[in-house]
Amino acid sequence: MTRNRTASAPDGAEQAFRRRPDQVMRLARMGCAHPTRLSFLRSLLRRVETEGWRFDRPVWEIDANGVGRAVYRAIGPERTYSLVCFAHDLPADMRSDRVIATAWDATFTLFDGEPGAADLDRLQANVPLQEAGRVSARELSLSRANRSVRLFAHVVDRLAEGHQPDAAEIAAVGYLMRTTAVYGSGKFGAADRTVIADRSELAAPFQAEMLSVWMTREFTVDIVEHMARQSAANRGKTTAARLDRDIKRRLGVGNSTGLGMAPFLVRHPVLLNNWMMARESALARVRAQATATSEVVTGLTAALDDARQNADLWLSEHPIQIAKLAVLRRNLQAIAAHLADGFQPQQSLPWDALWRWGEATLSLEGQEALLALMLEPHGDLVDDLAESMSADEAAVFRLDGAMSVAGLQQILTESYGWALAIDFAQPENQRRFWYVSEEKLEPRLGDRFEEAGAELEQPLCVARLASELDAALGQWPGDNPVAAFLLAHPEHRFMVRRAQVAAAHPYAEVQDNLIADDMLPIDLMRCKLAFFGASRFDPRSDKWVRISLFQGLPYPSELSR
Amino acid sequence: MSAHADGPSDPTRSGSPVPAGAGALLSRNEVEMLCLKAARGAGMSWGLAEEAGFAAGWLAARGLDGAGPMLARLRRADDGTMSQGNLSMSPVGWASDDKTVLCPIAVGAALCDFANLPETTMADGPLKIAPVCHPVLLLPFLPILAACRSGAVALAASGCTVVVTGLGQLTGDVAGLADIAVADVDLSPSPAAAPAPATRFQPASVPQDVSRGLDGFAMRTTVPASVASRAGAGAATSDND
Repeated sequence: MTRNRTASAPDGAEQAFRRRPDQVMRLARMGCAHPTRLSFLRSLLRRVETEGWRFDRPVWEIDANGVGRAVYRAIGPERTYSLVCFAHDLPADMRSDRVIATAWDATFTLFDGEPGAADLDRLQANVPLQEAGRVSARELSLSRANRSVRLFAHVVDRLAEGHQPDAAEIAAVGYLMRTTAVYGSGKFGAADRTVIADRSELAAPFQAEMLSVWMTREFTVDIVEHMARQSAANRGKTTAARLDRDIKRRLGVGNSTGLGMAPFLVRHPVLLNNWMMARESALARVRAQATATSEVVTGLTAALDDARQNADLWLSEHPIQIAKLAVLRRNLQAIAAHLADGFQPQQSLPWDALWRWGEATLSLEGQEALLALMLEPHGDLVDDLAESMSADEAAVFRLDGAMSVAGLQQILTESYGWALAIDFAQPENQRRFWYVSEEKLEPRLGDRFEEAGAELEQPLCVARLASELDAALGQWPGDNPVAAFLLAHPEHRFMVRRAQVAAAHPYAEVQDNLIADDMLPIDLMRCKLAFFGASRFDPRSDKWVRISLFQGLPYPSELSR
Repeated sequence: MSAHADGPSDPTRSGSPVPAGAGALLSRNEVEMLCLKAARGAGMSWGLAEEAGFAAGWLAARGLDGAGPMLARLRRADDGTMSQGNLSMSPVGWASDDKTVLCPIAVGAALCDFANLPETTMADGPLKIAPVCHPVLLLPFLPILAACRSGAVALAASGCTVVVTGLGQLTGDVAGLADIAVADVDLSPSPAAAPAPATRFQPASVPQDVSRGLDGFAMRTTVPASVASRAGAGAATSDND
């Protein structure tokens, strides 16, 4: 579907400017991904603004200790959704961001419609338990959040004294609460994806989850102001200050996540393909533009200013990220210098020239930042691509048994050459194994040569599976159908299905060895989180990361009409 | 494997919790994932385990019990009443090469894989499949065969007949078929029956003993916790900051 498209190249030309999968689908580059205007939270905000959604807070039953429940409504043109919030008094020794935690500062669910008192009572008996409770097909998400202890206490204290919080403290953390899991689609009894997939407002990926997190952001401000009023009353004051609008804007919702997120992209190859294809098509459309208008160039400059400010505020103590940030800041400076003294909007294909300059000059971090910048002023040209980012996975589940063994070998040669080149006899090429712990089913990564459990490995070792399939096919007559091969080799069924999917979806596979010694799970996580729209990526280890969502963007109450 | 306490906030509890009482309403996603993991835990390859999840979810989406027959099928892997041999195909029909009971998931996947191949033409009479356990689990695979052949396929077993169309519509004695533990199965092309009115998906009610049984198999895919594995999985910093 196309809307408000300015002159753009036809699809054939667009394809000529599209980056190749073997360039895009590498962990090192995916681990440098930046949010773009196609990211899911940006799509949500565009829709809410365009359609004139209204937001309010019909229920606020929170006591002096900050314990109770609240409801936030999002009223769209066709349907209403309600975030049901439960606020808890959490002892510090129970505060953990891990999936093995059992209690949180606040818990949430997104209700499909407007909950009555009976719904709230039912949810109150279940939502605070999270994985140990049950929700129903009336609920679309289940999530929880923990406070940033330091910033939350600081803001309560300052507001209670009638002052605004310290700007440096706000900048250092950037959120009052961070979610530690946001479950959607059919988890713990919630509605299946198929129930909502045909609703225009929820058709794009993760829209229910993004809406839930965005309203959670409003709750984090309301609860901190509520606690400040209680604190002021305890100090004998009649009122507390409220958070200044500009300071509020600098607060996002944090998110803390571990390995559980990393396998998602591997388990959903068609979805990954569609996300990547949309982003790469957007870049290709921009590069194919014959000219650059002054209006669009101004937009690019403004986006660059924002990006440089964001890079300055982006803090991390992790050595990998510290190095990346230093490079990013230098690269953004180089882009600014080039725009001032090298970029020629009047030349033929100016955007392609800019991109080629970037590829020749910038690091991976800088190139991916440039991609996001180039999309930013081109909303009319690329925003319709956001509608192509969901996937009908059931439609590709059935494999083609009539394909010949030789045909499948051809796919492996063409789409998995990167995998077939890996020597799995070398220990460093298969040191890691992905597994699920018995402990609350937490996904983990082990060392095959030092830890028990490798026989229970999850099938995320795609490169090795492709390699094993290729070896087995080599022992089989090329003119036989794949169906006959699978009858004798059911152990290869999983990889045959993947390979057939990959043949039709060029960006479906991460083209790196996911069990290699030096593989960094945070690269997968950054890629996924960037598609969500996350900023301020801040690793806490090679498999744990904090980010911020919606930071700098409006609140529901600000957009409400 | 440690014992699993049942407290609502027990950190060692694994899997989807099951409320006390008769059963729980499971989403299709939950039925699929639970059966996929359970099938893998019972020894199926990952690819066939995906087929098991698909089959149970397909039945659940039509208000039928997929989880119960799946658990019964997986228990056969433990008690030795399941074929360990390969599926052999001849003009006479399909059978296990060790003459034992066939797995409906393996047979169903093969029916789909061969749907466009001579092995499933059914031109000279019904395709006879020697004893299959829990033949109701074959139904989810028949729309593919039906779409490739005459538009609908009739499955007959122990006097019960069910017709499945290429669009996944069901008519016939589904309840009777669901009660059959082991039977020889005949598949034949069928004129498409009048489509039944579409019903909106309702979450499947899965009895507690079935959920627990499947969960027990699913837990076999997990690695027992250890201090080392627990320590390596989280952040390197405190969350109380």
